[in-house]
Amino acid sequence: MNRRQVMGAGIGAGAAALTVNMGQAETRFRDLPEAASTDSPYTQVPPRPTTGIEYNPVVTLNGWSLPYRMNGNVKEFHLVAEPVERIMADGMIARLWGYNGQSTGPTIEAIEGERVRIYVTNRLPEHTSVHWHGLILPSGMDGVSGLSHPGIPSGKTFVYEFDLVKSGTFMYHPHADEMVQMAMGMMGLFIVHPRDPAFMPVDRDFAFLLAAYDIDPGTYIPRVAEMTNFNLWTFNSRIFPDIDPLVVNQGDRVRVRVGNLTMTNHPVHMHGYDFEVTCTDGGWVRPEARWPEVSIDIPVGAMRAYEFDADHLGDWAIHCHKSHHTMNAMGHELPTIIGADKSRVTDMVRRHQPGYMSMGTAGMADMGEMSMEIPENTIPMMTGWGPHGPLEMGGMFSVVKVREGIAPDDYSDPGWYENPPGTQAWEWTGELPEHASNDSPETILTPRGGKRLG
Amino acid sequence: MGALLLLTACADTATMSKARDERAGFATVAGISRQATGAEAAWLQTPAERQAHAQRVRAIVQGKTIGAEQAVQVALLNNPGLQASYADLGMSAADLWETALGPVPSVGISVSGLVSGDVSRSVEGTVASSILDMVTKKSRTRAADLEFRQAQLAAAGETLALAHETRRTWIEAVGAFEAAGLVGRAQGAADAASELAAQLGETGALSRADQAREHVFTAELAAEQAEARLEAQLAKEKLVRLLGLWGTDTDFYVPDSLPALPGNVPNRANIERLALENRVDLAAGRLEMEAVAARYRLNGQTRMLSDAEVGAGVEIEREDGETERSPVVDVAFSIPVYDTSGLISRRGKLEYQRSANSLAQSAINARSEARSAYTAVTGKHQIALHWRDQVLPLRREIDEQALLSYNGMLTSTFELLNDAREGLESQLSAAEAKRDYWLAEADATAAIWGGASDNGEDE
Ligand SMILES: [Cu+2]
Repeated sequence: MNRRQVMGAGIGAGAAALTVNMGQAETRFRDLPEAASTDSPYTQVPPRPTTGIEYNPVVTLNGWSLPYRMNGNVKEFHLVAEPVERIMADGMIARLWGYNGQSTGPTIEAIEGERVRIYVTNRLPEHTSVHWHGLILPSGMDGVSGLSHPGIPSGKTFVYEFDLVKSGTFMYHPHADEMVQMAMGMMGLFIVHPRDPAFMPVDRDFAFLLAAYDIDPGTYIPRVAEMTNFNLWTFNSRIFPDIDPLVVNQGDRVRVRVGNLTMTNHPVHMHGYDFEVTCTDGGWVRPEARWPEVSIDIPVGAMRAYEFDADHLGDWAIHCHKSHHTMNAMGHELPTIIGADKSRVTDMVRRHQPGYMSMGTAGMADMGEMSMEIPENTIPMMTGWGPHGPLEMGGMFSVVKVREGIAPDDYSDPGWYENPPGTQAWEWTGELPEHASNDSPETILTPRGGKRLG
Repeated sequence: MGALLLLTACADTATMSKARDERAGFATVAGISRQATGAEAAWLQTPAERQAHAQRVRAIVQGKTIGAEQAVQVALLNNPGLQASYADLGMSAADLWETALGPVPSVGISVSGLVSGDVSRSVEGTVASSILDMVTKKSRTRAADLEFRQAQLAAAGETLALAHETRRTWIEAVGAFEAAGLVGRAQGAADAASELAAQLGETGALSRADQAREHVFTAELAAEQAEARLEAQLAKEKLVRLLGLWGTDTDFYVPDSLPALPGNVPNRANIERLALENRVDLAAGRLEMEAVAARYRLNGQTRMLSDAEVGAGVEIEREDGETERSPVVDVAFSIPVYDTSGLISRRGKLEYQRSANSLAQSAINARSEARSAYTAVTGKHQIALHWRDQVLPLRREIDEQALLSYNGMLTSTFELLNDAREGLESQLSAAEAKRDYWLAEADATAAIWGGASDNGEDE
């Protein structure tokens, strides 16, 4: 998928609206902009702007950017809050609430200094509102229903209009029946590009929101009253193994923007690199205030953007470092079976359940390898295959793929990285020397100069 | 009585002839006369006859799994109390057997156990009709001996009561073994959980408290299983008593489970008519009226009134032939009305009225009992069907989904086994509902032939 392909093929209604915008920017509109919609759960790379101020659009993982039109000097968008069916991964559909056909909603992109007018049509069965998280705007545009303005009743359209006084990384979500509407998937990114194209430029700019759902195995709709026991940890309402990779050309300057709308923090860890946070939802971070990291903790209700130079070729994991967040739906009450002899038990259970298989006596990796029938509309707890075997992952996990010779607007999956000879861990087949071992729990001081074997 | 004779002819000849071949060794009994005489009663006392009788019973039961019909056969043949009342009437069990059923089948009339719907096929039906058949035969030669005929009807009533109790006891015994089997399966699931708990105790994954929780459940279930087994044994022992068995003859088995539920219950809209035609207590009531008429030398019958008419107060003493038709009923039980014009004694009139009214009351009760029995059969059938067709499929669905959930490491083996155990509880309830249906069937048989009022209803 690349920008030119998208331009050529169009993205349905969105592309049509986009074409109108580009050709007739000066036209005055009296009606509201067409409400673009998409039914695709795949990454749709937005085209670069051809008129006006130049900027590098963000690539929303498994998402898209909302088409706009210019109405005089005002950039107009049309968000539709509505029930959607989101394909969270192949084999699993979630019945959520979202915007314009998907959850998470489309990314709104605009430029610092622009005035935006955002029509919000409510096709939900209850009132809603939109809070523009992090944006500086008039109090009456802040989207807290009841506080900033009345909630948008079902079937009605409200208009938000404000100036974008600063660039940065922001998001939007309802602030009416907020717990339910966010548990149902209503959220989206709002990116304001700097007016100065030379300010903080990057070659690739990825963005995603962290969202958590509790969809019981075999069901389709989230349990909205859940507070802590979520079982689906997503990037943009998408789970491993079907989160699109972050495809990067070697040497690119890359930014990854992450917002957290779950109810817990997520230490997002990226392999192969060290990097620095350059932006939060509060604004750009001054260079002297940055420090190097390999895991960025994204607090609840906060956003972080980090940058790195993509020097190291390879397939590099990017994931939340909470190991339960790289699992799909699982049972948390399972006893540990490791080390148990289940042969007798297995025979006894099979008298009642002939299809019973013994699992877990050597760990849980059997799950990744065996493909047994599990409840409908459920992705296995650990799954996914790589070039060297099962990945045994789920949830918040994807891969940053750094390659040579990737075209500037090409984001299509280059396949698995082939490790150059001699750069891959290999099996030792010789004799094993006696290995160092310690059976004492006491602190053991190492003699100066280190302790040599043999 | 005509209906009864007809029913006798309805015996299942195909099964009978099959049985006959297998019973070649019992050719000696084939020639025994159908006529019951005092001489024959004495003959029953001979050691040879006793031995033949014992052999006959042994052939049916020893080492065999016996069905409900076979149990009833043996009870009628072998129950000492019943034999005594037969002997009083000058009938031997062998006579009765030959009269009613032909050669004793060693495999039984309906091996499967219970026959739904076709009441004419029940052993007690054929046996009772034979007794009554003999009564009619007797009446030709000893027409005046109404007392004797009444005694015979009483014997027929006893026969039916014993048959009914035996049938119920067989159903209860088999039902108890079926229940014990299901509790045993639940125990198996609990054993598996207990075994897993012990394993996890060894690896250090389960605390002693949690292990004990699994073990105590298993231990409690073991007590329940012992209870269920004991109940089954006691139920079978009750059957043994009714069959009059002892010694090695008690080495017989009953099936592990009751026959499957029939898809539908035959329409028995005619159950009232069947009851009015066949109940031996009603036949006895008629004879009672005949006896009263004979005692007071009343002239011949002038007309017939229905039980409903008598119940509604139609004048039973009117001499003229005119009748006021009152309640319209589909099926009438006719009560003979005698010409009482010559009757001077007030006491005679009262006695006659009493017997006529009491017969009408018995007939009305018989109607109600028949309707109740039919309602019970259809109701119990619906309930058992509900368990089988609604509850159990849902349980199977739960079991299937439980396995998928276990496969997905969403639930543990313990939960899987717990679902299996709960499923077995539903199976237990379904089996109980099935047993209740078959008991209702047995009661319906009794409502048609009689024998229910003394036994069976006391639960
Ligand atoms: Cu996390």
